Amino acid sequence: MTTPVLRKPRSTWTPGQIALTIVAAALSLIWVAPLAWALSTSLKTPTESVTSPHWIPDHFTLDSWDKVFEAGNIPNWFVNSVVVSVCVTVIVLLVASLAGYGFARTEFRGKSALLALTMAGLMFSPAILGVPLFTTVQSLGMVDTYWGMILPQCAPAAMVYILYKFFQSLPKELEEAAFIDGAGRWRIFFTIVLPLSKPSLSAVGIFTFIASWNNFIWPYMVTNNPDLMTMPNGIATVQNAFGIVWPQLMAGGLIAGLPLIIVFVFFQSQIVRGVAHTGLAGQ
Amino acid sequence: MGQPGLNRRQLLGAAGGLAVAASFGFAALGSGADALASSARTRVRYWNLFSGGDGGNMVAMVDAFHKANPDVAVKASTLTWGGPYYTKLAMAAAGNRAPDLAVMHQGRVPGFAPGRLLDPWDMDLLTKYGVREADFNPVLWKRGIVDGKLYALPLDIHVQLNFYRKDVCEKAGLLDADGRLPAATSPDDWFEILKAAKGQLKKGQQTLGLHANDQNFSWWFFVAFYQQLGGTYFNDDQTQVTFDTDKATQVLEFLRKNVTEGYVTVGAADGEAFIAGSPFTWEGNWSVPYFNGEKIAYGAQPLPPVFGTPATHAESHSFVLPHQADRGGAANEGAHMLAAYMVKHATAWAGGGHVPAYLPTFKDPAYLKLTPQNEYSRPAMEHPATEPHIWFAGSTGVLAQRIGPVVAASNVGSAKPDAAARRMKSELRKLLAAKNPMDGRTAAQELKGAGA
Amino acid sequence: MSSTTVVGAKAVRPRTATATDSARLRWGRRLQHGGWFVAPFFVLYGLFVIVPVVRGLYLSFTDANISGDHTSFIGLSNYREALKDPLVWDSLWHSVQFTLEVVPCIVVVALLMALIAHHTVHFKWLWRLCFFAPFLLPSAVVGNLWWWLFQPTNGMVNHVLGLDTPWLTQKSTAMLAVVIATLWWTVGFSFLLYLAALQNIPQHLYEAAELDGANAFQRMLHITVPNLRNITGLVFALQILASLQVFDQAVVMYQFGPGPEESTRTFVQYTLEQGFTSYRVGYASAISFILFLIIAVVALGRMWLLRNREEGAAR
Repeated sequence: MTTPVLRKPRSTWTPGQIALTIVAAALSLIWVAPLAWALSTSLKTPTESVTSPHWIPDHFTLDSWDKVFEAGNIPNWFVNSVVVSVCVTVIVLLVASLAGYGFARTEFRGKSALLALTMAGLMFSPAILGVPLFTTVQSLGMVDTYWGMILPQCAPAAMVYILYKFFQSLPKELEEAAFIDGAGRWRIFFTIVLPLSKPSLSAVGIFTFIASWNNFIWPYMVTNNPDLMTMPNGIATVQNAFGIVWPQLMAGGLIAGLPLIIVFVFFQSQIVRGVAHTGLAGQ
Repeated sequence: MGQPGLNRRQLLGAAGGLAVAASFGFAALGSGADALASSARTRVRYWNLFSGGDGGNMVAMVDAFHKANPDVAVKASTLTWGGPYYTKLAMAAAGNRAPDLAVMHQGRVPGFAPGRLLDPWDMDLLTKYGVREADFNPVLWKRGIVDGKLYALPLDIHVQLNFYRKDVCEKAGLLDADGRLPAATSPDDWFEILKAAKGQLKKGQQTLGLHANDQNFSWWFFVAFYQQLGGTYFNDDQTQVTFDTDKATQVLEFLRKNVTEGYVTVGAADGEAFIAGSPFTWEGNWSVPYFNGEKIAYGAQPLPPVFGTPATHAESHSFVLPHQADRGGAANEGAHMLAAYMVKHATAWAGGGHVPAYLPTFKDPAYLKLTPQNEYSRPAMEHPATEPHIWFAGSTGVLAQRIGPVVAASNVGSAKPDAAARRMKSELRKLLAAKNPMDGRTAAQELKGAGA
Repeated sequence: MSSTTVVGAKAVRPRTATATDSARLRWGRRLQHGGWFVAPFFVLYGLFVIVPVVRGLYLSFTDANISGDHTSFIGLSNYREALKDPLVWDSLWHSVQFTLEVVPCIVVVALLMALIAHHTVHFKWLWRLCFFAPFLLPSAVVGNLWWWLFQPTNGMVNHVLGLDTPWLTQKSTAMLAVVIATLWWTVGFSFLLYLAALQNIPQHLYEAAELDGANAFQRMLHITVPNLRNITGLVFALQILASLQVFDQAVVMYQFGPGPEESTRTFVQYTLEQGFTSYRVGYASAISFILFLIIAVVALGRMWLLRNREEGAAR
C-alpha cells in the first residue's frame, strides 16, 4: 500500500487524522443513508412506510421481501439479468481481446482505417442512436429476444481500445520464443497472451459486467415482454397491480442492487483496480 | 497458495463455467424463465395498465376467469400507465412480438393504426362467447369500429369527478335534504361553496385537490369545462382549427382562480389530503376504491356545471388485439374468451368506480347498490366530454402531451390564461397540419379517405 | 523532434545475428492476415454500430414510422422541422443545464472524497466502500429510491432537513433533484479515478518537499494539484459525455413523464418520445444527429486539447 505513513513510531491518531476520520465518517454516513433508508422502508408494513419518517421500523416484517419473491416477476427478471450480463461479459471478453490483439500485434490491409473506425465508435451509444439501432434490431427479428438484448452490447469500442493499449505494452519476446518452439498464432494467443493479460481482462470483464447488469436504456428499448425484462428495466416499467407499495419497491430495488454490492465487498481491491484501470485507459 | 486454495479455485471455476453454460443455454432457447416454467396448455398473454384499486379488481377478475376456464392460463402483465404503456404496446406490435390481448383507451385507437398495429376482432368468436352489439352502450360500440370492423371492444367509461367530504360539507351547511351536494351552476356559486367549506378547515389544509400541475388532469378538466361552454376544436372536415380562445381563456381563468384564491396547494398529494379531511378533490372515478377503503363519508358527482351545460371528461377502456402476423389458434381464441368474460362481468369492474359499457350490468342489483357509483354513473354517462376523435388524441396521447403542460402552466401561474389559450390554439394548428406517422396522411386526408 | 530521435535510436540499436532471426522474420510474416482476429468484433460492430448509423442517416431523410411501412423520402424537412421545434431546444437545454450543474459537483465532491480517503490512515476500505457502493446500483433503482426520498410529506430528505419542499412537483427544484440523485449515484466512479491518480503520485516528491520545509498546504498546491491535472481533464470529459446523454434516472424519477412544467425532459428522452411514443422514427433519427454532433464536438475537442498539450510538453 502506498499509505503515507510518515512518522511510524508515533501514534497514527494525530489530531489531523482524527479530524479527517471524522469528516470521512460523516460523508460516508450521508452516502450510505439512502441505502439504509431503503432497507428500513423495505422492513416496514406498507401503512407504516407512509407515516412520518423514522429509521427503526415499529414492526419488523419481511413481508415485502416475501411478496416480491413470490408474486412478482422479480425472480424471473433476476435470471434474465444474469443470463444477459454473463453472455455479454463472455462475448465482450472474447471479441475485444481478439480484436485488441489483432490491432496490437498483427498486420493486415486496412488496419489503420479499421482502427480509426473503432475509435470513432467511442462516440456512439444506444442513448444517442437508440431509434435507428432499434429499427436495425427489429429488422433482424430480434426485438424481445435475449440475443436482441445481448448482441448490441457486445461491440464496445472502448474495451477494444483498452486491450489494444495493453497488448501493445506486453513484451514481444515471449510470443517470439513460443513461435520458435512451433506454436501457431492462435495457440500463442490463447496459451501465452491471455494468461499474461489476466489483470486487464478481469478489469474489462468486471466493468462490462457492471455496465451490463445496470444497463437500462437498451433493454428498455428492445424488450416489451415482461417475461424477458432484466431487473432494472422490469423495476422501472412494470407496475405492481396494487399500486405503489414503497416497501416492495425498495425490497425489489435492493434485490437488484445487492448482488453487485456484495461482490464488491468481497473483491473490493480487484474491482477498484479494474474500474480505475479501464477509466484511466482513456487518459 | 496451498492445496485448499487450488480446490476452492477449481470449485469457483466450475461454478462460473456452469453459470456461463446455463446463461448461453437460456439465451439459445430464447425464452424467459417464466415461459419455461408454465405447462403447455393455452397461455393468453394479456397486457394492461391498471394499478391501484383497478389493478386489484383486474387480478380478481382474471383469477375468476381462470377458475371458470381452467384450461386457459392467463399471463397478465401490468405496465406503467400512460405513455410508457403505449410505447411498449406499439413496439411489441411493430416488432411482431405482441401480446394476445391488451387494454387500450378508446381515444387512442385512431392513432394506433387499426389494421397495422391492431387486428380486428373475430365477430364469430365473440358471438360464440356471448358478446352481442345490442348489449353495449351504442356510442361506445360505434366508436370502436374503423372501416366497418370492430377494433375496440368497450369495457367501461371512466370520468372525472368532484369528490366531496360529507362530514365537512355538512358542517358548512352545504348539503341538501338527501345529504348530497347540490351542483354549482356558476363560477361564483362554486367559489361560494369553497369559501364555506374552507371555514371549517384547520390552517394549512387545502380546500380543493386540483392536480394543478399535472398535465393529464389539467387537460382533462379543461376538456370538461370547455365543452360546458360549447367549445369545439376542429371543423367537421378536420381542415380548420375552430378552437375558441375566448372560451378557453374563460376556462383557464376559472381553473387558475381556484389556485389564486388560496383553495389549492400546488403539488399537494391530493388524494391523501382528501382522506386527511380536505373537503373536495377532483379525481378520476378510479379513486373510488381507494376512498372506500378508508371508510370516510363522501359523495362523488360529475365536475360542477359552472358554465351552464353539464359535461365532465370521459374516456373509455376497451380491449384490443395487438397485431400479430400469425394471429389465430388457441391463444387467439383464449383472448376472445377472456375479453368476452371480462366485459360481461362488469359489476366486479364497476367496483373500481368505472361505468360499465355492458348495459345488462345496469339491471344487476349488486351494481345498483354500489355507492357513490349510483350518484354519478347516470349523469356522467349522459354528459360525457371527450377529446376530439382524431389520430393524435386520446388518453396520454400526443394532444395531451402537447396541450396538457400549457394548461398546467396557466394553473400554476407561469403563463397568463389568454397567452396559454393562444398557445393551445397554435399547438392545435400544428397537430392538425401534421401527418399521422402511421399512414403519412393528415387528419383531414384520413377523414376523406384520401391517399398520401 | 523527440519522436524521430527515439525511432532513430531504435533503428541503430546493434543487433546480434542469431539463429532466431529468421524465425523472427517468419513470425512477422505469420502475422500478416491478422484480419481474422478483428473479424468477430467487426461483425458485431458493423451490425450494431455502423449499420444503425448509416440507417439512421437514411431514416432522417424519410418520414418512416415504427411499423416500417409507408416510408417515403422527404429530403431535409425533418431537419428543417427540428430547427423550428421548440421542444428540441427545450430538451437540449435541459440536458445541457443538467450537465452544467452535475459535472462540477461531481468533480469537486469526487476530489474531496479521494483526498480524504487517500490521507486517512484508518478504515480506508470503509470509505472506499461507502463512496463507491451507490455506483453499483442500477439507474432504475436509483430513480425509484430518490423518488421515494424526495416525497414531500413522508420523504426522508425533507424530514432530515426539516423542510416541506415539493421537490418533484415544482419547476424550480425538479432538475436539482435529478442532479442530487446523480451526484450521489455516480460520484464513486470519479472518486476511484482520483484515488488511483493520487496513489500514482510518487511518494518521494512529498518526502523531498517535506525535507525542504514545505507545509501540508504547500505540498498539496505544488505537488498534488499539478499531478491531478490530467485526471481532472479525463473526469470532466467522461462526465460531460455521460451527462449529455442523461436519461435513465430522470425518467424513472418522473415516471417517464416530462416533469413539472416539462422541466426535466432530457434530449434523449425527447428523441425516444418522438420515435417510440409518437412513432416518428424518421424525425427521431434526424434529431438524434443533433446530439451526436454535440457529442462529437466535445470528444474531438478533447482530443485536440490533449494533442496540443502533448505537443506543448514535447517542446
